[in-house]
Amino acid sequence: MLGKLDWSAIPIDQPIPLIAAGVVLFAILAVLIWAGVKGHYPYLWREWITSVDHKRIGVMYVLLAMVMLLRGGTDAIMMRAQQAVAYRSDGYLPPEHFNQIFSAHGTIMIFFVGMPFVIGLMNLIVPLQLGVRDVAFPTLNSVGFWLTATGALLVNISLVVGEFARTGWLPFPPLSELTYSPGVGVDYYTWSLMISGVGTLVAGINLVTTVLKLRTRGMTYLRMPMFCWTTLASNLLIIAAFPILTATLAMLILDRYLGFHFFTNEAGGNVMMFMNLIWAWGHPEVYILVLPAFGIFSEVVSTFSSKVLFGYRSMVLATMAICIISFMVWLHHFFTMGAGPDVNAIFGIASMIIAVPTGVKIYNWLFTMFGGRVRFAVPMLWSIGFMVTFIIGGLTGVLLAVPPADFLLHNSLFLVAHFHNVIIGAVLFGAFAGYTYWFPKAFGFRLDETTGKAAFWFTLVGFYATFMPLYVAGLLGMTRRMQHYDVAAWRPWMIAAGVGTVLLTVGVALQVVQLFVSIRRRDELRDTTGDPWDGRSLEWATSSPPPVFNFAVLPNVTGEDAYWRVKEHARQREFDTREPDYRDVEMPRNSPTGFVCAFFATVMGFALIWHIWWMVALGGVGAFATFVVFAWRDHDEYLIPAADVARIDRANLAARRAALNVAGAAQ
Amino acid sequence: MSEQIEHLHDRPDLAPGDEEEVRIGPRLLGYLTGLGLSLLLTAISFFIAGTDLVWQPSIPVALVVLAIAQMGVHLVFFLHITSGPDNTNNVMALAFGLLIVFLVVGGSLWIMSHLNHNMMPMEQIMRMER
Amino acid sequence: MTETTYAYAQGDPHRLRGIQEAAVVHEGPAPKRIVTAYGFWIFLLSDIVMFACFFASYAVLLRQTAGGPSGAQLFDLRSTAAETAFLLLSSFACGLASIAADVRSARWFQAAMALTCVLGLGFLFLEAREFADLVGRGAGPTRSAFLSAFFTLVGCHGLHVSAGILWLLTMMAQVFAKGFRADILRRMLCFALFWHALDIIWVAIFSVVYLIGSGT
Repeated sequence: MLGKLDWSAIPIDQPIPLIAAGVVLFAILAVLIWAGVKGHYPYLWREWITSVDHKRIGVMYVLLAMVMLLRGGTDAIMMRAQQAVAYRSDGYLPPEHFNQIFSAHGTIMIFFVGMPFVIGLMNLIVPLQLGVRDVAFPTLNSVGFWLTATGALLVNISLVVGEFARTGWLPFPPLSELTYSPGVGVDYYTWSLMISGVGTLVAGINLVTTVLKLRTRGMTYLRMPMFCWTTLASNLLIIAAFPILTATLAMLILDRYLGFHFFTNEAGGNVMMFMNLIWAWGHPEVYILVLPAFGIFSEVVSTFSSKVLFGYRSMVLATMAICIISFMVWLHHFFTMGAGPDVNAIFGIASMIIAVPTGVKIYNWLFTMFGGRVRFAVPMLWSIGFMVTFIIGGLTGVLLAVPPADFLLHNSLFLVAHFHNVIIGAVLFGAFAGYTYWFPKAFGFRLDETTGKAAFWFTLVGFYATFMPLYVAGLLGMTRRMQHYDVAAWRPWMIAAGVGTVLLTVGVALQVVQLFVSIRRRDELRDTTGDPWDGRSLEWATSSPPPVFNFAVLPNVTGEDAYWRVKEHARQREFDTREPDYRDVEMPRNSPTGFVCAFFATVMGFALIWHIWWMVALGGVGAFATFVVFAWRDHDEYLIPAADVARIDRANLAARRAALNVAGAAQ
Repeated sequence: MSEQIEHLHDRPDLAPGDEEEVRIGPRLLGYLTGLGLSLLLTAISFFIAGTDLVWQPSIPVALVVLAIAQMGVHLVFFLHITSGPDNTNNVMALAFGLLIVFLVVGGSLWIMSHLNHNMMPMEQIMRMER
Repeated sequence: MTETTYAYAQGDPHRLRGIQEAAVVHEGPAPKRIVTAYGFWIFLLSDIVMFACFFASYAVLLRQTAGGPSGAQLFDLRSTAAETAFLLLSSFACGLASIAADVRSARWFQAAMALTCVLGLGFLFLEAREFADLVGRGAGPTRSAFLSAFFTLVGCHGLHVSAGILWLLTMMAQVFAKGFRADILRRMLCFALFWHALDIIWVAIFSVVYLIGSGT
């Protein structure tokens, strides 16, 4: 009746997952009950869950990422603690548990922290920077978010019901085949990623179409902010790479469910084919994560240096070069698998070449700062921290790109330190920079500066304290993913890394504290003009938060740094007091399609994992029915009358003019 | 504001799949031409695959060329992808997709053939383990 | 219509004015039909990348027959030729349906779509029969890696055709119930793109898998 599911799926005999699950369930129930008692459900349903507004969806993506950061970070703390104590000892985590933790850590951090964070920021900001009202496919946007949330939900359910994969964050066969992983762990992994992969692909299609086809009047390609260029490049990579992940996981699923022989040891399967294909996806994936971060840094460095971005055209070229070359380097993830010197050399050289456009970007950011009036606000601190940290990480990457060096360092802690160096240094720091920079735009008040700076310093120092010892341990020969070890030379480094983890944890905790403090102090931190940082691009031309229609009248752009020109103009002459010609605005109607679709996807995913076939069929029918119901609706837009548009816009313009006039008079 | 610069207003792009021609006659002719050419190319493919009249090693190459030609016929006559400026975005997207396809397929074949060449056959490894 | 111009070209820090003078003025966001069709075009390209992976796997696993039958021993080219004819003609019928939609002729539209459906179902029927026959002869997908790759590649295409049939029937129902509304016409454009793309993929399949495969 219930497939493979029975009471033994709940880990009553394992205290750690049981306690973790208990805490999480308690937290979720507490939030749900509090929201219900306060009567927030209608508001949440109407304004957030069924919203197709890119700003709301962007915020929900970022919220998902930050919550999952806590889960992924907890896994990391457990791993560091285990390795700190497990010298000539079994530590406190049995191997089968430790293996699930490092697998979950990687999976969650990449798919449910990194991806949602950058996609959320792109969703929130790109339509504003392009001067338009929404992304190309608003309802599809909602579907994409909720499917990603489904994937995150399934991974977390594995904590309570069943187990997670023990194969690492990429499930290499033959270990991930049914023979060696007969449990449901790998199935949780594959179905969770298949479902959220659809969500990611949808976001990719949406953002590429938005950047290419939906820009305001006058905004040619070379007048777009740099963040929009990196959005384009990153989402082109999503469209090109995620189908590879889909196909490869599908083949693994076919092996496990229907007895196919793609990657089995018997009947001619080829395990190396899995590695080849999964890394053909995996390498573009890291560029998908890092390119938006580069875009954020371009925005932040330019704004907080009060100077136009240096070398805009070379930045664009470098971004598109990285986009293309990132599809030509994937073999460097398996130099040691035996492709031979010719193949290794070509991919090694390509991997070094891709460092060049990245270097161009770093020089451009430095030259932007040079000669500017640099303000060391929190986003700028993250940017400078990024530049130092990423350079170190990038250098170790170029070192690893040399095949003979990689033969010694492959799968050692040196590698682990390298990729954390670049991911934390670029993606996480970029995410935090973007989060701090654009928080006032989304919510109307800034984040508290003091706790923000404290969070930055603890995170920066904590990062170095945790991961520099790992470089050393890797050079001393320590392999990754070790549940215990007996080499004395590694021990001090593991303990040092454990201490560093404490600092990192404080840093992340301070981010949470910052949020609470900022909400409490929000009236003091209020952003009244919509332009708290003296920004240069169009998102700062709107109020904070923007009205649902973003711009009352779509702006007309005649140059780069569009909003800066407005302010220059306003400072030099009388601000244009002619009223814009207000028209009725049509906005897309909210829809429960995304949420309902994800509900059925969750049902189907869970049923597929546990082999409950009738539930799969029901879920499938439900998903198709949702689609048909959505296709059948007659009214997909609603009208905002010109009078309402005018009223909202006049209020915003008045506040803005007051602030600018004050600033102009002060000058 | 724009008095000193003469602006060319850009022609709206064509949606992929749309064609400029609106009259039924020429449109029908377009589809019929596409059908005819495709049938011809298909027939030639099947013929070549089964015949002894050509040098055998050239058959796979010929079939690939014929397949590419037929895909081109489909793109032009059924999907209306042209080289005009109103189709540039569509062609660029297609070119990007094709680049990725060649990198993935070509790269995989190159890598896998090297790996297979250097690697002991799986059956042999399994026998060693026993 | 007056619009507030927010910007006035004063400074030109990157000396881009030369480029901008030569450039066309960007008129603003594109119309919905273009946006929708372009988004779907990009989706199709992502789908083609996915098929490319299955093709790559097929090519890599071509010789891995594990002592079992190879393509040359299994493929029935007459069935392949018939499937090709069905799919190609259905593509043509779909083209007719597109023209009918553009001239707003409901009768010709439904007729052409019905023809597309019948031909598509014919293709699926022949393919299902081929698969069942192979499984019956002990040459199912679990027999060897080659057969796994074959069934997955060709089967994935067949699943796409099946999904296309469901979509086709939904389009016929929508036009019947609501007429040629703008959003329904946009969906029809997307469906036509999808159906023609499936035929393009089939060209690759019958050439590489069946024709080249039956010679080796």
